[in-house]
This record gives sequence, structure tokens and C-alpha cells, in this order.
Amino acid sequence: MASTPQMSQVLPSTTKPAELEYGGDEISALVLDPGTNTTRCGFAGEDTPKTCVPTYYGIIPDPEEQKFLGKLKIGENAIHSVVDGMEIRNPMHDGIVENWEVTTEIWRHCIEYRLSSRVEEHPLLVTEPIWNPLKKREKTTEIVFEDFNVPAYFLVKSAVCESFANSKPSALVVDVGHAYTSVTPVLDGIPLKKGSERTPLGGQHLNNQLRHQFTELGIRMAPWLMIKTKSTYTDLTNPAPLRTRDYGFEPHQSHLELQQDRFIHEYKECISETWPEPKSFPADLNNVPENFRGLPDKAYEFPDGYQRRFGLDRCLAPESLFNPSVAPKPWTGETPKGIAEMIKDSIDHIDADIRANMLSNIVVVGGTSLLYRFNERLNQELTAMFPGPRVKIYSPGQIAERKYSAWLGGSILASCGAFHQLWISKQEYDEIGANIIERRAK
Amino acid sequence: MPPFRDDHILLIAPGSTWTLAQLGLPESFTPAKVRIPSRMFPGIEEGQYLPNKVHEVAEGQELVFGNGEVITAGPNGKPHKKRKVGEAAPKPDAASANGAATDTPNADGDSKKPKLEDGATETKGDTTMADATDDKGNHDDDEEGHDDDEDHDMNGTKKDEGANGKIYYDDDFDEEGAIWCMEQGRIVNWECFFALLLHVHETINPTFHTPILMISQPCWTCTDKERICQFIFEKIKAPGFCMMDAAAAISAAYGAQSSLVVDVGYEKTDVTAIIDYNVQELGRTTIPVGGNSMNKHLQKMLPHLSEDEIEQLKHSSICEILPPGIPIPGEEELEKDIIVRPPDLSTVAMGGLVPPKAPEEEANEEEDEGVTNIAAIVASGKTQEYLAKKEKEKADKKAGLALGEKRLPNYKRESNSFLYVEKVAEHLGGGQKSDHPIEVPDGEHMDVDPAPAPAPEEPSAEKAPDAVPAPSEGDAAQPTSTSEEAQAANPDAPKPAAKAEPAKGAPSLMDSMFSATKDDDDAKRAQDKALRREEKKRQEAAQSGEKRKEIEVGTERFKVAEGGILEAIADAAHRVVNSADDYNQRNDCWKSLIIVGNGCRVRGFKDALLNTMVAKYQVSPSSGTIFTSELPSNIPTPSGTGTNTPQPSSFNTQPNALLLQAAANNAAAAALAHHHPSIPQANQSPSEMKIAKIPEYFPEWKDAGFEECVFLGAQLGAKIYFVTDQGANKGFVTRADYNMQGPQAIHNI
Ligand SMILES: Nc1ncnc2c1ncn2[C@@H]1O[C@H](COP(=O)(O)OP(=O)(O)O)[C@@H](O)[C@H]1O
Repeated sequence: MASTPQMSQVLPSTTKPAELEYGGDEISALVLDPGTNTTRCGFAGEDTPKTCVPTYYGIIPDPEEQKFLGKLKIGENAIHSVVDGMEIRNPMHDGIVENWEVTTEIWRHCIEYRLSSRVEEHPLLVTEPIWNPLKKREKTTEIVFEDFNVPAYFLVKSAVCESFANSKPSALVVDVGHAYTSVTPVLDGIPLKKGSERTPLGGQHLNNQLRHQFTELGIRMAPWLMIKTKSTYTDLTNPAPLRTRDYGFEPHQSHLELQQDRFIHEYKECISETWPEPKSFPADLNNVPENFRGLPDKAYEFPDGYQRRFGLDRCLAPESLFNPSVAPKPWTGETPKGIAEMIKDSIDHIDADIRANMLSNIVVVGGTSLLYRFNERLNQELTAMFPGPRVKIYSPGQIAERKYSAWLGGSILASCGAFHQLWISKQEYDEIGANIIERRAK
Repeated sequence: MPPFRDDHILLIAPGSTWTLAQLGLPESFTPAKVRIPSRMFPGIEEGQYLPNKVHEVAEGQELVFGNGEVITAGPNGKPHKKRKVGEAAPKPDAASANGAATDTPNADGDSKKPKLEDGATETKGDTTMADATDDKGNHDDDEEGHDDDEDHDMNGTKKDEGANGKIYYDDDFDEEGAIWCMEQGRIVNWECFFALLLHVHETINPTFHTPILMISQPCWTCTDKERICQFIFEKIKAPGFCMMDAAAAISAAYGAQSSLVVDVGYEKTDVTAIIDYNVQELGRTTIPVGGNSMNKHLQKMLPHLSEDEIEQLKHSSICEILPPGIPIPGEEELEKDIIVRPPDLSTVAMGGLVPPKAPEEEANEEEDEGVTNIAAIVASGKTQEYLAKKEKEKADKKAGLALGEKRLPNYKRESNSFLYVEKVAEHLGGGQKSDHPIEVPDGEHMDVDPAPAPAPEEPSAEKAPDAVPAPSEGDAAQPTSTSEEAQAANPDAPKPAAKAEPAKGAPSLMDSMFSATKDDDDAKRAQDKALRREEKKRQEAAQSGEKRKEIEVGTERFKVAEGGILEAIADAAHRVVNSADDYNQRNDCWKSLIIVGNGCRVRGFKDALLNTMVAKYQVSPSSGTIFTSELPSNIPTPSGTGTNTPQPSSFNTQPNALLLQAAANNAAAAALAHHHPSIPQANQSPSEMKIAKIPEYFPEWKDAGFEECVFLGAQLGAKIYFVTDQGANKGFVTRADYNMQGPQAIHNI
């Protein structure tokens, strides 16, 4: 019943006809968008990815195991089962792949799980952040050709994809993701290094802030998997007894945190709210001025049954995205700049003649931009910062388009007729080696 | 292209254990007419698959069955003859013998069509039993072999095959060496899977102008679908083909717009959210627990039972999952632990919107039965029946006391016994049961156990959970047991359904709870019907020479689902719904929970699963209450029941007063909002969980049960795609499409 749009009919010129029984029909390209939170993959030409698997993985350490030093657990079901000794880790740091062995497995899983058991038949388009260093880009190339044995491949900057997904060849792309928020100017499809900025203020940051905030409040954060049944209570000083499930062992702390992230994520979706005005959020929530009109309360029930109303304090964590100094959890090291500040920096760094163009084409995407009223706040911040030029924010109205913007852009690119000249073929790779990526895809 | 006709549409639903099929769409949609086990047996040659196990028996070897007794095989409409029935030769044996077999194999090497080879070998080296003295390489018996063949052909069904002094015989009952082509829904052996499809197709033997609709398993990859599409067009040469997602078919059968589909299979459970008729592909999942997980758990608790006994225990009426609040007999104290009380509203309901739930009733129950999970019962929508039943029970209790001894229902007994039916080999000659497509007679659709005949012990339990007839609905009217006769004569059975009062296996709790209440007549009829069915089975069993024995089990029978299956499914369901991007519609999924699949036939399973979900994930009603009580009065209050959280819109769009003012003063704000919409925020879900109502307009399905309603969905789908729509909306792949686009065409429909 799910309808799928017409698939790409474009056969890359560099691809030799696939050796299939039905005599070499066109094979659609795959688009892979590796994020820190999830890795997405699907067929070029479609409007949503087919798979979206967690980038987090489980490992049961075992020094005997040669390759991974443990038993790998990849995929939604695997990481959400309670296994003795299983640690949860993430192979990416700052949007960049750190652990290649594991990443390769995650990509493979992402492709083979629902899409295709024949990776080697599909041209593959992969997205990358603009700050991906050369070494990592070469490594990606190597893996794609050596491990997956794809016929053709290309690497595209996610910011470019995101601007295309929003039908803009030029835009200031603000990607508010899981591990970071980045700002990248894109001019006629070319991402500009000058003026691109990033900060760790993203979904993960919010999760940590909220975890801290809840702990401070004295909320016991038993996740669903650890609980047998819940009993509702509202008084933290007199909590209902906790009925935990006994697995016969203590799950690893990292697993517990992953499970907590599940309800924290839900909290972000339905309770968190961005205070819509710059600078007016009360500095001390325990001491709000008398005449201050707050927000209606929203109630949230934690997995153990604790119910609490959140008022202004549900804006606290999101506020820290714009005003990091209010973060409930103190910063270790230097306090980063807020998101609006960062955009200002970016604008200041780019050439004066494109500033107006950028400011009137601000594209906001990424899962965390779904925070309620995030865009209103951003708009107010920017309008205050740049009173002269017209600030205009574009952000998809569909949840899926926000989350999968980079993937969607990749899908559009890879299925567009002109793209077929860009593919790097296996043959080229064999001749030149991994460095081909630097020559062909800057 | 001439339009497709209702009666010329082939439906196929491949599953891990059974493949369902049917030709044509009847006026009123029926359960699948043909059921074929999803397995094939390696044939004589490599790469060849037959629907039956073929033994290779050297002549002169010991015969187990009477001379000349031959059993049909006819996998390809070609004679496979056997004239004797030997001890099941273990597969490696057969293989090696085959390899050693003398001259025939040159033909065998390349051809994949078993019939050809059979034909070829027959002419060469058939042997009769009469002169079966030789083990190998006897080429002298050509003539006799032919004679035999003819005999069998005339016979119509019985066919033999021998080659090179070997005798091949198709064993309909041996499942050893069977290759199951699907595991947990995934196709693990393609050759075998295609052989199975061919077998299905040949069994049904439709006309050339018969398009095919196949149900696709949620876990099939895009390449899988392409391969199947290719096979359908190139080998089966269908004029049209489409695939319908299993979850989509199930929700179509229910007519649900948004739903959460939980399909409990043999070794897997598929969980899929459907929103506005769209399958939420990204979040859906398949977890490796299913009906068989419960067998394993039972086996762990009851190590002394055989696999087959476990399977039958699971099917029997004494095996049930008790609702929370009903203690497992003898274990009261432990069970207190899982009781969920409705939240104490007085501490939360500041607005006083929700009246505390009828305290008298609650009190009554506590006094009688211990605490009962009202919330769960309310959630399951059976409050009325439940209360009525409670009343009745109380009355019964008094009556029972007055009468003296009263027989206890299953749920009050620490141990109870079920009737184990063991098929014995002697009836082999009796016919082609488990290995042959089972035509379900129109009159009597499968009840609890769709497949009439089990194969001998282990193998069937291994892979075909439904192949065993369960002694259902208690063991009333058991004619063979003297003690039971005595019991039956016992006059003082207290309930209205007195004559059905089982001697041993008392009615399951759910039955007794909901049947004997409001509608005694209905209940009675149902019970009568069950009895008749039971009787029929018994007779059948008696005819086919089964062995029966009673097996007594303790409270383990109530713990069938305690191996973590409920929690695993509930958690997967929660993840699936919460990964649906459109968070405003998640609640709609929860409100229409569809639990299907033969794995959930265990008594009380569905309610237990719902209870598990409610207890763990449903946001308590009071959330809405604490929320609303602080809101300005102009905001709509939640509906009186208190079980609904308020409509999302009332809060999501409630802007900060400051902003509201600003917006009013500044029209530009509206224009801006257009460019960066804030997607409305949802409330926490699920605020309500309900099992979807089974549609009532499919009478044939009522008796059969909705566990296999995927097939009903298939019929609905086929009707729309092939008949109503006739391809106008590209509901299926036509031959022309295929020729243009190749196998990928399957994705473009
Ligand atoms: N509705 C929402 N409200 C707030 N945060 C959200 C929402 N939806 C997703 N997120 C957050 O967005 C992050 C994922 O963003 P995404 O752009 O997919 O990151 P990445 O590309 O790094 O994987 C997660 O931290 C998730 O919790």
C-alpha cells in the first residue's frame, strides 16, 4: 500500500550493465546518509529512505574476538534487548566516523536489512559533513569499493543535499542534528568552507541536559525495559515502590542511558518547548518575576509512573541551545556559542556580496529543529541581529522531510540525469586508488 | 487485455510454516482453501525438490507396510512409484546411495525437472517387488516396472518409482530432511521457495489468464521482491502480479485507517504501525519471538514432556494465560506483585474532573477475588461482561456451597490434564494427510486447529505448530474413559451449560468468564458446537487409529507466556509506534491494536498482551487531569471518562499570551510562520489502548477466527487491484510492465 514514486531510470554511464538473468536492466542507485543518531538508506528517486537504523551499536567485550574485541550487536532490536555485559557505543564522533570496522558493519546492515542483498550491484551515494577530513574521505572510498564492491560511487556534502531538498541551489543551511548543529553556506550547489561553523549544541546535548535536570529534581529514571509495571504517583518524596524486572544481572550503564534516551526523546517531542523570545527567559526559574506570564503546564509521565507538570522549566534545556550559559548541567571547558551567535559568525565570515542572499535563504533542517517553536525563536534572534536585510527561514513542514532532508537531497541528486557524469567508477578507483575522491569530489 | 475475473485470481500467502493459497474470489470471502506446508524435500537429484519425502529403498530390504501398498505422491502429476514402504532412510543415506547409483545420473545432472528424470529412469531401471532380491544395478525389470506404472496410473493416485534397482517411495508422513524455505519470514532457501511456489501453482493449476497476488512478508527486502516478481513472470508466466504487504492486508481486513498490527508467527513477530492506510516502513520491526518461544518456555518448565506433547498442551483449553488479578492457584502471594491499581485519583485530580471509579464495585471485587485489575478490564472493553460474570460467580458460589461439592474451573485448579493424541504409523495407508494440500471443506472451516492431521511426532512439532489437532474445549463426553463416564453421569452440574460441564478439562477462564453470562443461549450454542466439533474429531481420531493419553500438568500451564514474549512484543510495539514520524497520529495506532497470527491462539494471549502494554506504556488517565486542572477555563476539558487526555490541539496551539498579542499586532508574523512552520506538538501517547474490533460482515471468518485474516485482506486487495481497478491505478504489474522495466517493476506499483 505504501506507494513508491517512479525510480531512477538513469543508468550511470560508468556502470557496466549488471549481470542479472533478465538481461541488464537499470539498477537504481542507493543513497546512504550516515548520521550520529541514525543511519539512513534508500533508493535514489524515492522520497523517503527505506531504512533508518540506529548508529548506536552494542558490544559484548571479549578480547578474544579478533576484529571488534567483542561481539557486535547492530540494529534496533539488538541494541534494545537486555544482554549481560552489552555496552552501547557510537562509532561516530562530531559527525565523523571514528570506528571504521563497526561503521562498515552498520552500513552493511542498513543496506542489507530491507533493501538489497546485492550491495555490489548498486551505485552508491554517500553523504558527509563538510568538515570531513581527507583521510576519512579516502577511507570511505576504500570501504565502498573494497568491502561493498559497488560499481560506482560518489560522496556529497550533506549541506548541499539539504539545500537541494529544499529546492534551493543557494542557501545558508542550518542542520540541527544529534551530535552537532552546523551552519554551511551553499552557493549554487557549492558548499563554502569559509563561513561554515558548528557547535555541539544538538539533540545529544539536550538529552544530557535533560538527564541532568531530571536527576537534579530527584526523578528516578528507570527506563521501560527495567520496569515490570508502573504505578502512578506524583509525590517525589513519597514515591510508589519501584517494581523492577530482574534480569539476573545489571545492564551496563551505557545501555541504561540508551534506554533513558528513549523517554527523554519522547519528552523532547511532546513536552520540551523553545522559549520564543531572545533574552527574556528568566535567569532563575525559582525566582520568576511576579508579572511574568509563563506557559501553560504540560504533564509528563515517566516510565515508572511518576507524573509531573512542567512549566517554564520545560524550556530550560532548549534555551541552552541559544543561550548555553543557562544550561542546567555546567559546561566542562569553554562555553560554546549559541546557535544564533554561530549563524552571525558565519554571516560575518562570508563575502559581503552574498550575505543578503544567504540571510533570505536560511534552510533549517535536522531532527532537533523539530523542537516546538525552535524556528520561531531562531527567527526572532536573527531578525534582532540583522535588522536591515530580510531574514527568511525555510523549513520543511513535514516531519519526515526535516529528519531526512540530507537523504532526500541525495536521492534527488542521484536520480537526476546530469548526475551520471559524476559517479566514480570502480575502474577509476582501481586505476587511481582512494585518492580519486579528492580529484573527483572536492 | 480482457479484464480479470473474480474466479481467475490466484492468491498466495507464503508463511514460515504454512503457505495459504486459493483460486478465485468467492462471493463472500473465505479463509484460504488450500494450505500447504512451506517445505519441500530434496529430490533424488541435487537441486530438485519434491513436496514429499522420497525414500530410496533397496529392494529386498525390510518392508514395513504390506506388499503392494502404495501411496500417492504425484508431485508433478507424474508417477513416482513406490511399491514398498521401507524404514525411513536417513537422508544422507539416500544421497550417497543416489550418488552410487549406477548409470542413470547423466540425465540427472543438469535437468531441474524431476518428472523428466523420473520418466527417463523408469524406462531404464524399474523393478518390482516380486523379484526384489538385488540391491543395486538391476536392469532387468523394465517390463515389470512399466506394468506397475500403469497399474498405478489407473489407480489414479498411487504412484511408484524405481530406478536402477532402487525403489523410491514418497513418504507422506515423514518430515525428516524437510527443507523449510522460510525462517522467521525470511526466505532462506530460494530454490526450495521457488519449488514450493511451483508446487502451489501446479496444485491449483489455474488458467493462463490468472493473475497472482502474493502476500509479502514485512522482512522481505526489495531484492527479494524483485526475485519473486521475476520468477512469477518468467517461470509461472502470470499475466499480472502484485504483492501486498502482510500488515497492509491485515489492516485492510479490519478496515482500519490507522492501526498497530502485531502478527505473531511461528518464530517471529512482525510489528507494524499503519497511519492513514500507509505502512510506516521505517519504524516497523520483526522480532525473533513467536508461538514457538512459548513452546520452548513450556519445555523448559516441563522437561519430561515431548515436543509434540508440549505443542498439544499449548493448544489445549487448560493452557491459558490468566488475567492480572486472577491468581495462579496455589501461588496467590506472588501474584499480588503485578497487580496494577488504577491511580489514586484523589491525589491528582485537582480539577475533580474524573469521578473515582465506582467504589462499590471495586470493593465487592476485592472482597471476593482479591484485587482485580479494573484498568485492564476496562481497557479490554469487557467491563460489562466482567461485572455480570462476577455477579454470576458470586451466585454460583452460593449455589455451589449449597449443593456441596462443585467442580472447579480450570483457573482454580492447581493441576489439570489434557488429552494427548498421538498418531501412530499404521494408518499411513489411510491417506495423504499432512503432506498434501488440505482442502478445507466449505462447510467446516478450521476452528482452533486448521490442519486436520499431524505428522508423526517430532517433526510436526518442530515446524508446524498448527498441524496437531488439539483436544479442544475440555474433554467432555469422553467416551473411552470410564471414570469420565461416571463423571458425566454425575447429575449435579450447577451451571446452565451443565451438559457441557467438562469432566476433566474445565472450561477455560475466558470462556467461563464471558460465555455463561449475559447470553446464556449464545454460550450454550457455542459450547454445543464446540462439543460437536470435539466429538467429530474424536471420531476421526478413532478412525485413523490414534493413541490417546491423558497428561496432567500443574500450574506451568498458566505460565506459557512468562518467558518474556509479552514484554518483548510490547516493547517492540512501543518502539515502532514511537518511531512513527507523525507523532500526532500515534495515538490512533494504539487505539486500534490488531493482534493476529496463529501464534496468538493461546487462550488469553491477546488480553495478556494488551494488559502488558497497558500496564507499562499507557499513560495514566490522571495525566490529562493534572494537566487540565491548571489551564484557563476557556480551554476545552477532556471528555468525561477521564481516560482520554485532551485533544492535542487544545494545548499545542495554545500560544503564549505575549506572543498572541504580538501576533495580533503584527500581521507579518503570520506570513513568517508560513515559511517556518512549527509543527504542532503532540501529547504523550498512548493515552488509550484498544484491541481493534473484528469486522462483522465476513461470516465465514467468524468461525475460523481472525488469526489468518491476512488472507481476507489479500482477497480484498485482489478484488480492488485486479477486478475493480483493472490496473487503472497501477495496482499490479502487467506483463507489459515487466517486459519494459524488469523485476523492478514490482516497486512501481
Ligand atoms: N520532535 C522532536 N523534537 C525534538 N527533538 C527531536 C525531535 N525529533 C527528533 N529529535 C532529535 O533529533 C536528533 C536526531 O537528529 P538527526 O538530524 O537525525 O541527527 P543525525 O543526522 O546526527 O543522526 C535526536 O537527538 C532526536 O532526539
